[in-house]
Amino acid sequence: MEDIKGIKGITDIADIKIVHPRPSSIVASLYTLRDMKIDVAILHGPPGCSFKHARLLEEDGIHVLTSAMDENDFVFGGLDKLKFTIEKAIELFSPKSIAIVGTCTSMIIGEELSEAVSDYEDKASFICVEIHAGYANNTDGVIAVLEPAVKSGLLSEDEFSRQKEILQKATAVEIKAGAASQEYLAPSRGDIKYKVAERLIQLLRENKKGVLILNAKKETAYMFADEIVATYEIAKKLGVSENISVLSNTDVNLGLPRVREHAENIEKGYKEAGVVVDDIIGGLDEYGVTGKTVLNLMKTKYADSDFVLIAGVPHAIPPEAFENMEIFSITNGPRQVLPLKEIGHDHVIVEIDLHPKTLGVDKIIPSEFGDNLRSVFSDSL
Amino acid sequence: MVQKIIAIYGKGGIGKSSTASNVAAACAESGYKVMIIGCDPKSDSSITLLGGKRIPTVLDTLREKKNIKKEDVVFEGFGGVLCTEVGGPEPGVGCAGRGIIVAIETLKKIYPEFMDNDLIIYDVPGDVVCGGFVAPIKKGFVNEVYVLTSGEYMPLYAANNICRGFSKIGMKLGGVICNSRNAFLERELAEEFANKIGSKLIGYIPKDPIVQNCERDGFSVLENAPDSEIAEIYRKLAKEIMENSDSVNPTPLSDDELRNLSKKYAADE
Repeated sequence: MEDIKGIKGITDIADIKIVHPRPSSIVASLYTLRDMKIDVAILHGPPGCSFKHARLLEEDGIHVLTSAMDENDFVFGGLDKLKFTIEKAIELFSPKSIAIVGTCTSMIIGEELSEAVSDYEDKASFICVEIHAGYANNTDGVIAVLEPAVKSGLLSEDEFSRQKEILQKATAVEIKAGAASQEYLAPSRGDIKYKVAERLIQLLRENKKGVLILNAKKETAYMFADEIVATYEIAKKLGVSENISVLSNTDVNLGLPRVREHAENIEKGYKEAGVVVDDIIGGLDEYGVTGKTVLNLMKTKYADSDFVLIAGVPHAIPPEAFENMEIFSITNGPRQVLPLKEIGHDHVIVEIDLHPKTLGVDKIIPSEFGDNLRSVFSDSL
Repeated sequence: MVQKIIAIYGKGGIGKSSTASNVAAACAESGYKVMIIGCDPKSDSSITLLGGKRIPTVLDTLREKKNIKKEDVVFEGFGGVLCTEVGGPEPGVGCAGRGIIVAIETLKKIYPEFMDNDLIIYDVPGDVVCGGFVAPIKKGFVNEVYVLTSGEYMPLYAANNICRGFSKIGMKLGGVICNSRNAFLERELAEEFANKIGSKLIGYIPKDPIVQNCERDGFSVLENAPDSEIAEIYRKLAKEIMENSDSVNPTPLSDDELRNLSKKYAADE
C-alpha cells in the first residue's frame, strides 16, 4: 500500500494517533441512509447516541428514532425495545423502508438486529446496518450501509464499487491535508471575513483573472455555492465576468439519488443567478477525487489565472495546481484552517456551523462570506 | 453430502476441546475436509492437532496488523484439519464475547470459502454467558449443536441450561454426548436425560487415561494412539455426527425434573 503523507509505514488513518474527536461512523451510516432516501432509521442503542445529528437529519426528510436502550437492556439485551420501536415507527410514519442501525452498545453485547426485523418484513422493507463508532475511519459507516444495500438489491454493484473508491480517496485527502492529518489540530475561526472580502473585490476591480471552484461535499454545496454566486455577481456588476471561470462538482448524473437532486438544485440556482459554469469537475460526492481534474484544468486551461477561490473541501486539491496564484479557500471545518495555511493558502475562511444550515434545504442559501462580499461591495459604491 | 457446521457446548472443563479435536481428527482420517474454530480465549482447542504448538489467534493478529490474511490465522494440523483460534483478552479484562463476534466476522471476510469444508466445529467455552457466545450460531452458520455432559449433577445442570438457550433461539440439537467421569450408571442417566429433552445420546466416551496422556504430549488420540479402543470410539462418534440427520428443538427440563432424574441414578440409593 502507498505511504500516506510521505511517512513510511503510514498507510492508514489508524496509524495516526489523533486525539481530537471526529466524525462518527454511526452518523456516517445515518447520512448515507438519508442519501438513499430510506424513510426511517432506528438507532438500536442508548437514547443520546448520535442525538445532534439525528435531530438535524429530521430536517432532511429521514425520521431517526432510537430504541433507547438502558442499563437493563445492556445486561439483558434490548431486542424487545427495538421491536417496540419498529412498531412505533410503522404506526407513526407508515414507512416504505426502515433501517436498523447498530451502536457501540448493541454491537458489543452481540444484538442480532435481523432477529428483531423478521416479524415485520411484510410491513416495510428493512436494511440492517451493523455499525458502531469504533472505526478510525468514519467512512466505514458508509460501507456498512452500502454492503447490505447491495445484497438487498437497493444498490447496484457498479455504484457500490464507485462509492468505495471515492470514499477511499476522500479518506486519503483527510489524512494528507485534512482533519485527520495531525494528532491534534486546534480549531480556528480563520481569517476575518470582511477583510478577505475587500481583498477579493480589489482583485476583481484590478481586472485580475480568477477561477472560482465549488468542490463541496453533498448538501454543504447549498451554502458553499453562494460564495461562488456572490463573487460572480460582483464580477458581473464590475463588468469583469469574462475574467472569471467557474468549476463545479455538480454533475447531475453521479451519486446516490439524493445527491443527484442536490446537484440539480445547485445547477438551477446557478442559472437563476446567471452564473455560467465552465467545467463540471465531478459529482457532489466526488469532492475527494476531483483534485486531479482540477490540477489538469489549472495547468492547461487556466494556467494564467491570478487568483483562485475554492469553496467546500479546498484541501482535496493539490496545492501545485495553483502555483503563483493567490488562494482564497472556504471550509466549514474549524480544524481545517491550520492544514490549509500550511499548504500555502493565503486566505482561509470558515463558515461556522454550515452543515446544520444546509439540511432540509433545496436551493442555494446565503453564506456569511457571501453576505460579507455583497455588503463590502455595496458599501464601496 | 450434508455439510455440517456444528458447535459443541457444555460445562467448563467437561472435555469439549478434547472431544472436538478428536472428532475433527477422526473425520479428517476418513477423508472429510474439516475445520476447527476454537472460541475460547485460552485458545487451546486445536493444540492437540498441532503437536502441542500454539498458533497465533485471530484477535491477537488483528491487534497487530490491519491486513490480516487467511495464512496468518488458519493452520493445517493433523490429517489436514484446518485450525483457527479466536483468542481473546486475558481473564478479567475486556470482553471475550465481543471478541468471538469480531473474530467470526473477520474469518468470514478473509476466508470466505471456509464454508466449503465438510465439517466445521466451533469449540465454545463453558456456559453461554452472553451474546458473543452464541455468535457461532448467529453469525457462523452453525446448523447443529451438540451438548457435552457427564453423569454428574452440575454438568447435567449446565447442559440443561444450555438447551434452554437453544430452545429459545430455535437452534437444533444434534444430540447429547456423554464424556464419562465414571459416575454411577452414567450412560443410562445421560441417555434418559437426552431422551427427556427430546434428543438422543449420540456418543458415550468412557474415561480412559490414554486421552489425557495424548493431550499432555500435545496430540490427539487419533494421532498418538490410533489403534486404541478410545480412538475407535471417537471414530464411531465422528461417523454418528456426520451421518446424523435427526436434530430437534430441545425441550429443557425444569429444575425439579432434573433434580429428580439425577437422584434416580444417585449411587447411594
